[in-house]
Amino acid sequence: MALSDEQLAGRIVLRAVLPVIKVMLEDDPAVKKAFENVSGTVQFRAQDEEGPVGACLVFENGAFSVEQGIRENPDLLFDFPSLKSMNDMFRGKPVLPRLAPLLRGIPGHFGLLVKTFKVLLGMKILMPNAKPKTPEKAYLKVKMSLYMVSTALSQMNKAGDPDMHAWTSKQPERIYQWSVDGTDIACYLKMKAGNTKAGRGIYTRRKPFVHMRFSSVDAALPVLANTVDTVSAISQGLVINDGSPEYGGRIGDFMMKISKLLT
Amino acid sequence: MSKTDSTFSWTVYEADKLTQREIYGIVLKDLGARHPEIVGLSADLAKSTKIGTFGDAYPDRFFNFGIAEQNMFGVAAGLAQAGLTPFVSTFSAFASMRACEFVRTDICYQNLNVKIIATHGGISFGSAGTTHHATEDYAIVRAFPNLTVIVPADAIETAQAVKKCMEIDGPVYIRIGRGFEPGVYTAEDYEFEVGKAIEMRSGTDLAIIATGATVYHAVQAADILKAESGISARVLNMHTLKPLDEEAVLKAVAETRRLITVEDHNVINGLGSAVADVIAASGKGCAFTKLGLPDRFSPHGYPEDLMHKFHVDTDGIVDKVRELLNREFEEAEDWEDEV
Repeated sequence: MALSDEQLAGRIVLRAVLPVIKVMLEDDPAVKKAFENVSGTVQFRAQDEEGPVGACLVFENGAFSVEQGIRENPDLLFDFPSLKSMNDMFRGKPVLPRLAPLLRGIPGHFGLLVKTFKVLLGMKILMPNAKPKTPEKAYLKVKMSLYMVSTALSQMNKAGDPDMHAWTSKQPERIYQWSVDGTDIACYLKMKAGNTKAGRGIYTRRKPFVHMRFSSVDAALPVLANTVDTVSAISQGLVINDGSPEYGGRIGDFMMKISKLLT
Repeated sequence: MSKTDSTFSWTVYEADKLTQREIYGIVLKDLGARHPEIVGLSADLAKSTKIGTFGDAYPDRFFNFGIAEQNMFGVAAGLAQAGLTPFVSTFSAFASMRACEFVRTDICYQNLNVKIIATHGGISFGSAGTTHHATEDYAIVRAFPNLTVIVPADAIETAQAVKKCMEIDGPVYIRIGRGFEPGVYTAEDYEFEVGKAIEMRSGTDLAIIATGATVYHAVQAADILKAESGISARVLNMHTLKPLDEEAVLKAVAETRRLITVEDHNVINGLGSAVADVIAASGKGCAFTKLGLPDRFSPHGYPEDLMHKFHVDTDGIVDKVRELLNREFEEAEDWEDEV
């Protein structure tokens, strides 16, 4: 059965948004330093119609991973009464998780709590209207956004979004690649007969079917913020679309849908 | 060939009216005007192979040996040793099989400057029956050291190949059809370089590598696949079988990972085998299929019907592409998203 928009947004938050914390830990010097000697688990949990859903952030001396599902006895617990409230927090709305379970973890993990909040605040940079104040923050915004979008597209398909799944089901093995010239920012979406996988870096095993190449970080920002449409972006030289324009446009439509789900 | 090139009497605008053989005959006649060292040799097929056009223009430089192909190729070797450039025309079946040892030992072994124009290649002489089909010639002549092997796609490319072969100091085998094959090129604005494949259609889903008369069908198939299913098929015109454009093959492997070869020839040791050799040596994995005649003798029939029967026409290529796109050739893939 197809997920509701809120369920789909929740899935994207847990499986596509939270994982890009890894980019901050690797590429933001302040965050990297803050977490270099930190170990702990932070559970996000939200009530859905059929029970709780969630994901657990695992910090381990600078390393980071996300475990899907509910972990028993996390160090910290961010508990939301509904998927909508969790999603709203990531939409930038003033929502706080329930405090009681959170407080249980605080005494022994105050430092982890503060640092986690700092990271969550830092993720506001993903908001379309968030304007990075430094080139370093601009780099982070573009990298995190592209990583998040590529994974979100894959998750839309895996969640059975009817339009997305119908589209991917008809496709042979194809690579949709994004990259930013002059940087290491690159990610891709691989699809084949209804399966999808988001990957990092330049896919080297075959030529992309569609390759969206941003000319710079600054060129990518207005496109990702939706302040310029794809046609204008191409005509202004902000992005080069190598490959099928029709398929490039189609994936742009799905990117817009994700943007709407998260704002 | 430029329309304004006054040294040639044939222009691209006549390509749709002339067959491959007719173009060959006219181009050779034009070359003869500029190259007095060119001589023409025929084994009683001057009219069928159109080398008679050259013979009519230069009767003192043209020799008909009767039905004696071995003798003809032996004499060609001697003429080349004397500094002349013999163009030897006969059917592909006779050039590659009846005169096989003479081509190999008299010409290729000594690396002599003999140009072999082998007409009625593959199953293009369908109605003449199995005896006049040449579905083994790639396999045979490809194995001869020193020999360059060219299979033009149509009449325009035949003209290109005949002219270009004059730049090669050594034996050349140019295999063309009976002459009723559809044209691939409609303009002269492309570079023909011996040993360099031509990308007729760009694509990333798979690559169709074709040679000779099958290039037309590969292009048609690619257009149908794109229009009907959005499939992005690259088409390579591999007009030179030897030396093979290995770079183009490896690029296709790396960028599409699914390859089909198409040839009007037995699938054993033709274009497909040459491409497979390159793939195997590279160590790169890909899905691969050879389209060609199976390991059996081709029957009597119209060429178009035979090509359809053996799936080396447009319909056959379209069907095989759809099959290949669904073929699994790697271990079960990991579809977990990377973080």
